[in-house]
Amino acid sequence: MEEEYLPEYGPKWSDQRAERMLGALVCAVVGLLLAMIITVFARAWPSFAHNGLAWFGAGGSVEEQLNQIYLSGLSGANYVYTFHGWQLIWSTMLITGGAVTIALFCSLFVSVFIVEFAPEWMRNILQPVVRFLASVPSVIYGLLGVLVIVPFIGNHLVTEPQKASVAGVISLSGYSLLAAVLILTVMIAPLMVSIFSDGLRAVRPGWLEGSLALGVNRWRTTWKIAVRTARPAIVAGTVLAVARAIGEAVMLAMVSGSVAFAPNPADGLIFIYEPSRPLAPTIVKNIDSLGSPPANATLFAIAAVLLFSAAFFSLAGWVARRAMRKYGATA
Amino acid sequence: MRIKSLAISVIALVALAVPASAGAVTLIGSGSVAAQPVLEALFKTYTKEVNHKVHFLYTANGGNAGVKDVQNGTSQFAGQARTPLPSDAGTTYIKMFLDGLCIDVNPKNKLSNISIQQTHDIYRGLLTNWNQLPGSGLETTIDPVGRDTNGGTYNFFLQAVLNNELPSSNVNALTADGLVVNAVKQDPSAIGYDGLAWQGKGQKALKVNGVPCVSSKISVEPLKYPLSRYLFLVLPTGVNNPALTKFIDWARRDPVAGEVIAKAGGVPAFNKKAKK
Amino acid sequence: MESSVATPPAGPPPRMGPPKSSNDAVEASAAWRLSDRIGLAICWALGLLFCAIAVAIVLYLMVKGLAYLKPSMLVTPATAGFSQSQSGGFSDALIGTLIVAVMGISIALPIGIGVAVWLVEYGRPVALARIAESTIEAIAGIPSIVLALFGTVIFSSTALGFLSRTSEGVVFGRSFFAASAMLSLVALPLIVASTREGLNAIPHHVREASYAIGKTKIATTRRILLPAARPQVATGAMLGLGRIIGDTAIIVVLLGATQNFAPVGGAFPINYLRGAGTTLTNFVYEASPTGNLNQPEKAYAAAFVLLLMVLALNAAVDVIHRRARKVGTWSS
Repeated sequence: MEEEYLPEYGPKWSDQRAERMLGALVCAVVGLLLAMIITVFARAWPSFAHNGLAWFGAGGSVEEQLNQIYLSGLSGANYVYTFHGWQLIWSTMLITGGAVTIALFCSLFVSVFIVEFAPEWMRNILQPVVRFLASVPSVIYGLLGVLVIVPFIGNHLVTEPQKASVAGVISLSGYSLLAAVLILTVMIAPLMVSIFSDGLRAVRPGWLEGSLALGVNRWRTTWKIAVRTARPAIVAGTVLAVARAIGEAVMLAMVSGSVAFAPNPADGLIFIYEPSRPLAPTIVKNIDSLGSPPANATLFAIAAVLLFSAAFFSLAGWVARRAMRKYGATA
Repeated sequence: MRIKSLAISVIALVALAVPASAGAVTLIGSGSVAAQPVLEALFKTYTKEVNHKVHFLYTANGGNAGVKDVQNGTSQFAGQARTPLPSDAGTTYIKMFLDGLCIDVNPKNKLSNISIQQTHDIYRGLLTNWNQLPGSGLETTIDPVGRDTNGGTYNFFLQAVLNNELPSSNVNALTADGLVVNAVKQDPSAIGYDGLAWQGKGQKALKVNGVPCVSSKISVEPLKYPLSRYLFLVLPTGVNNPALTKFIDWARRDPVAGEVIAKAGGVPAFNKKAKK
Repeated sequence: MESSVATPPAGPPPRMGPPKSSNDAVEASAAWRLSDRIGLAICWALGLLFCAIAVAIVLYLMVKGLAYLKPSMLVTPATAGFSQSQSGGFSDALIGTLIVAVMGISIALPIGIGVAVWLVEYGRPVALARIAESTIEAIAGIPSIVLALFGTVIFSSTALGFLSRTSEGVVFGRSFFAASAMLSLVALPLIVASTREGLNAIPHHVREASYAIGKTKIATTRRILLPAARPQVATGAMLGLGRIIGDTAIIVVLLGATQNFAPVGGAFPINYLRGAGTTLTNFVYEASPTGNLNQPEKAYAAAFVLLLMVLALNAAVDVIHRRARKVGTWSS
């Protein structure tokens, strides 16, 4: 066991030294994040500069534009940067919106169930189940999606008249918005359940007991009082789930099919069967074109949009969770 | 102390992966999926019968991806199913053997012949229903299946059939010929293209412009089957790899190699005939 | 009027929560309105649905995985083969996962503990502490694909060319070093959060007792606080490990160009770590119809092995929690 106290010079590690070293470590981590943000935006700048706000607009097929960008980069001069990302942004909004809405509904009921109404044996099963679902790697969700759900939709749910109505534009082969939303819901629901449960558990028991004493039944007590009080937790959970859904790349890359396409609600209800590729999987699917400078800039531009939205939603969730502490909840 | 034992166990684990045979040469390649069946057969025969010390590692990630691997040094050679393009700078293309790109449909489809123009129209989204192709006996929407841009086959198809126009967005672009075979096998309304070596296995090859997709009709000069092509091996220019050169010479000239190519589904181009 | 209020008999403290016997729940809910009972039915239905989904995932992967998993697959490297039965196994992927996990955690653990200690024990200037907390939260929220892209920038620079293969002046940028470095960022927030929780749970009198006998803050932390927070640190490390072995995006971008090890010159083992390779997640991705291998049977087998690893880590976290609870809490 080493000597920590050297009689001549004092403790081997003085507090000041330790504080400075650890402080330097923390500064390095903060600096790393800043470097990441700056690098991503710097690399993305050419793509934004050449397109301006039209980057977020519609026009043309993203697939073709990415191809053009990549090919122009191979020639060494006259880079083409034209890119209109609305298809991708619209896909992201559809998938994230759909998944978060369904997950919110389900998670609210399940968390109320876990905290309040489930018998002991059910709770002991359900909590590990939720933890398990949260820890399954996304590539396994993607594998099950592409080998089970996609063929099921393609072979059993899509009918011939539906395919004929979009013939020539897109083929309804099962890689669809429906598959993506279903699997993404299962992926983000456990996160929401755990945060909602924490919020519900932190409600002051006195308030609930008071309500029960007035004769309100347990269901209404829970919904009218506990859930309302836990609103910051619900907001925090939803926002964090949105951040997670926006950033999900691998699972969506596996169920999004081969074409960058955005479902068109004008097609009627079959738009849920149309393939959908949001922002994050686009990077994964085009990762081979990193060598071509304009394609590199475009991919970093997509990453910049992802970084901005995910960081925004994460920080919003953290702010909401700090507001939760006002109610005495810790999360 | 604990850190030391942890480090030792990590090194021991990694040591499991070290190849046990010393003096073995491993040639790393990647690229064409269409060429994969024939190349695999050649690799196996070469290692078994010609030189036990040479092993091959081939990742079929598509001809274009393979050429990129050769250009940045990840692979020592690549299989490719199209002719060289300006973007392939720094590489040398070597013709290995002949192959044909067959157009396949599901056996339930009664069509037997298709023209290049009809194929072009299908993949450009101009023909969308099987009832527009007389003889098919189907009334359903056509599901065109193809390869993605990583494959040399994609470029070959683009150039030979589509006149360098991009396929329409309803084409399902898959990453491997095997997946095209699966898709055509499972979907009665599907049509797809894959290499000669992938034929059979539950799909039906169509005659193109009246010429069937069989090895006796595969020839580039003179052009018999319209979608005949050479399959290439791509090497980095100026890099001398004697083990690889020996393999290439054997594969191109040796009669045994010629038989292996023919059995695996290719068409030998330069091999000497076997002495009977 | 009574002169004194009779105090009610002291019974068990009233508490919210499900009743001990299921009979109570049935009686209680039978008296509710229809809409409330429908609500409870929905709760039950969704709860059972979650369980059903989890069971379905595990059972399906088990059935398919065991059908295709042969023990030889775990020790045979992937070889080029035409049909799935001839193309070997995924031992390289398995070893790759272990390498990446060990390297990632060994980078993340010291940094995470250091940051957590600073935040809890020191934490001045306060502005820096707030910024540091936000930074850790932000890192937790960044999608791993963005971390991967950033990694390509860092590791393709010539300064860090020694960490991967360089050919003709072009740095390849993909190697175990690159992947592990970015994966450590994925595990970092979990380790920081758990360690902070552990350190915060130690009451102040422990620290004061240590200072009273003359120990410095850093010695107290190192000798007393961190060992006491070991369960939480271990939990954080396990959760971080779980996220590391489950991550695919970073591996696909920074590591997985091949399905076998591709060592790059130099001494063993550095040559393996500098080269490209693969992990289970990358193998599953490539073997699925989205990747290049077209080997769905091997994908199931590898996915099953991956799921087992994740379940084992989850079980380990549970065991640590239970043991920590048995040991008891501080008397304060």
